[in-house]
Amino acid sequence: MSSARDAILSRLGTAAPATLRDEAEVLLITPERPVVDNRHLKAEFLARLALPSVSASHDAIADMDALPAAVARYLAGQGEPPALCLPPDPRLATLDWSGFTLHDRAAPNEGAALAIARRGIAETGSLIFETSPTAPMLPNFLALHHIVLLRVADIFPHLEDAPLPGPQPRAHYWITGVSGTTDIEGTYVRGAHGPRFLHVILLRA
Amino acid sequence: MSGFTARADAALADRLLKVAVERTAGTAEAKRAVAVHAFPDFEQARDRAAAIKDHVVANLGHYLTQFESSAIAAGAKVHWAQTADEACRIVVDICKAANAKTVARSKSMLGEEIGLPHALAEAGIGRVETDLAEHIIQLADERPSHIIWPAMHKTREQVSALFHAKHRQPHSEESIAAMAESARRELRSQMLGADVGISGANFLIADTGAICTVTNEGNAELSLVPPRVHIVTAGIEKIVPSMGHAIHMLRMLARSATGAALTQYTTFYAGPKRPGDRDGPEEMHIVLVDNGRTKMREEGLAEMLRCIRCGACMNHCVVFRQIGGHAYGGTYPGPMGAVLTPALDGLRASRDLPNACTLNGKCQEVCPVRIPLPTLLRGWREKSWREGLEPVTMRQGVGLWAWVAQRPRLYRLVTGMAVAGLRILGNRGWIARLPLGGGWTRYRDMPRPAGSTFMTQYRKEQRK
Repeated sequence: MSSARDAILSRLGTAAPATLRDEAEVLLITPERPVVDNRHLKAEFLARLALPSVSASHDAIADMDALPAAVARYLAGQGEPPALCLPPDPRLATLDWSGFTLHDRAAPNEGAALAIARRGIAETGSLIFETSPTAPMLPNFLALHHIVLLRVADIFPHLEDAPLPGPQPRAHYWITGVSGTTDIEGTYVRGAHGPRFLHVILLRA
Repeated sequence: MSGFTARADAALADRLLKVAVERTAGTAEAKRAVAVHAFPDFEQARDRAAAIKDHVVANLGHYLTQFESSAIAAGAKVHWAQTADEACRIVVDICKAANAKTVARSKSMLGEEIGLPHALAEAGIGRVETDLAEHIIQLADERPSHIIWPAMHKTREQVSALFHAKHRQPHSEESIAAMAESARRELRSQMLGADVGISGANFLIADTGAICTVTNEGNAELSLVPPRVHIVTAGIEKIVPSMGHAIHMLRMLARSATGAALTQYTTFYAGPKRPGDRDGPEEMHIVLVDNGRTKMREEGLAEMLRCIRCGACMNHCVVFRQIGGHAYGGTYPGPMGAVLTPALDGLRASRDLPNACTLNGKCQEVCPVRIPLPTLLRGWREKSWREGLEPVTMRQGVGLWAWVAQRPRLYRLVTGMAVAGLRILGNRGWIARLPLGGGWTRYRDMPRPAGSTFMTQYRKEQRK
């Protein structure tokens, strides 16, 4: 136990009142937050994706088998070659990626990376990710084009729905748009360090 | 002339600075207004945010030990530092143990506060600032002038010249987008090649042991995921009890800082790389830094520990908008800086800062955690007076005013003469040169006073 720790804690005290947990929980009751129409979560989510601050495009597919074609369509529309960084996720490995040049490690100047979001949040248009052996984090930040698959059933209303059940991952992260900066004269520029384009493919099934 | 007065003088004479500050702060003010208007019950949300922070500060020791246990359980190593020097020593020792040649740093005001850039340089460790604005000021060898936009004082033309002089492949087109692209080219390989990533923390989550960073550029993730070691330096007041509390604070932070509903990238890191993970650091260290915070809590500045570093107070401050951030001299500028700097650097060295305020209350109106900044600034003024730190001329001037003010007839006579005199000096409603008041009229005109004093007008009304 360090002396600095002892010195700091002796000044602060570590005893907590018996009511501490209740006091903390009371502070979370009916939080003020943007109104979201729970009956139309998909529409609410898509409306946020289209905001200038998020600037994401989207597409929709009926089932997983349609994913490679949707990715190819997007990349062709952007004038990009059909090359893709694919995470080692078994749900993606079984799909027919013929016509693509695939790699599972992102290059320093990665062109495009695909990822599966764990959830979408209608309040902000956020995509929720968690790291795991099948879900590396770095490709989602290195790629110029970040392509994200999201099941419509995984769209939830509020940020309070972002934490996932189960053990805590190493990193739990929310992506709400493309990398941007206002550091020069407050003027917004997209693609500061991370992706310049964010494309969401909604899976209806 | 004091250091602050000299710096403020230089800032007021710098027309480019005024343009640069106004462009960014003006945009931030307008965007925040739109975001707040669109948010339901923002005033109640401010009450809740203040209550969350007060709850944490009241039980800070308990939440710190809870955070420590949770972070250790997640695999992180937790260090404690009472002072800035101690915190820097811990960070440098971790870097040396990792045989680090270069560190990638994601913007952290706590890092600036403890002098980490200087400590790393002294230890011979290369530092790459990865936030675009921090990169600009690192190239210019300057200090941040704002806590959200550290390069706010730079115009696009100045940034362009800097990048042309320092970047390996500078931009060829004169646009802000091209300049950002130039920085992207310059920094990416440096981020990926760093041995250690250093960040601050916007929030420390007590019940999970996770630390939260927010950025719009994604530079935090690119700085912290590739290196072998991730070091977090965080003020002890950054604790929140749970993710739910962090979510409320995040809603307030983004809207107050940039007018966005949320930052583009919000990441909660809990410990190092897990078995099977393809990326992430092998070690995660969290340095909990006091550096005067327990003292602030004990000595009447507990409300200042609510601060979430959004920068709204300075964006709306009439003084900051005139002189920019560097004139304040400390790590933190603007109203929150004028309260914090005397606590961090001592009142004797910074007694001018609480006086560089019109007390118009705008900072308190926009603060997302309702810090009573004008009241705290008045507290410093009173302390400065009590401790005899005010200069003799000030003490004599106030003494003379008090002597006259206690003699109502004399006071009315003197103020009446002053008003008449000022009206003679005025031309078309404004006074361009003020005898004994050159400091006021050097950079702006003074309004010509009304025809008579307040008391004269009041008595006239009473007689009706």
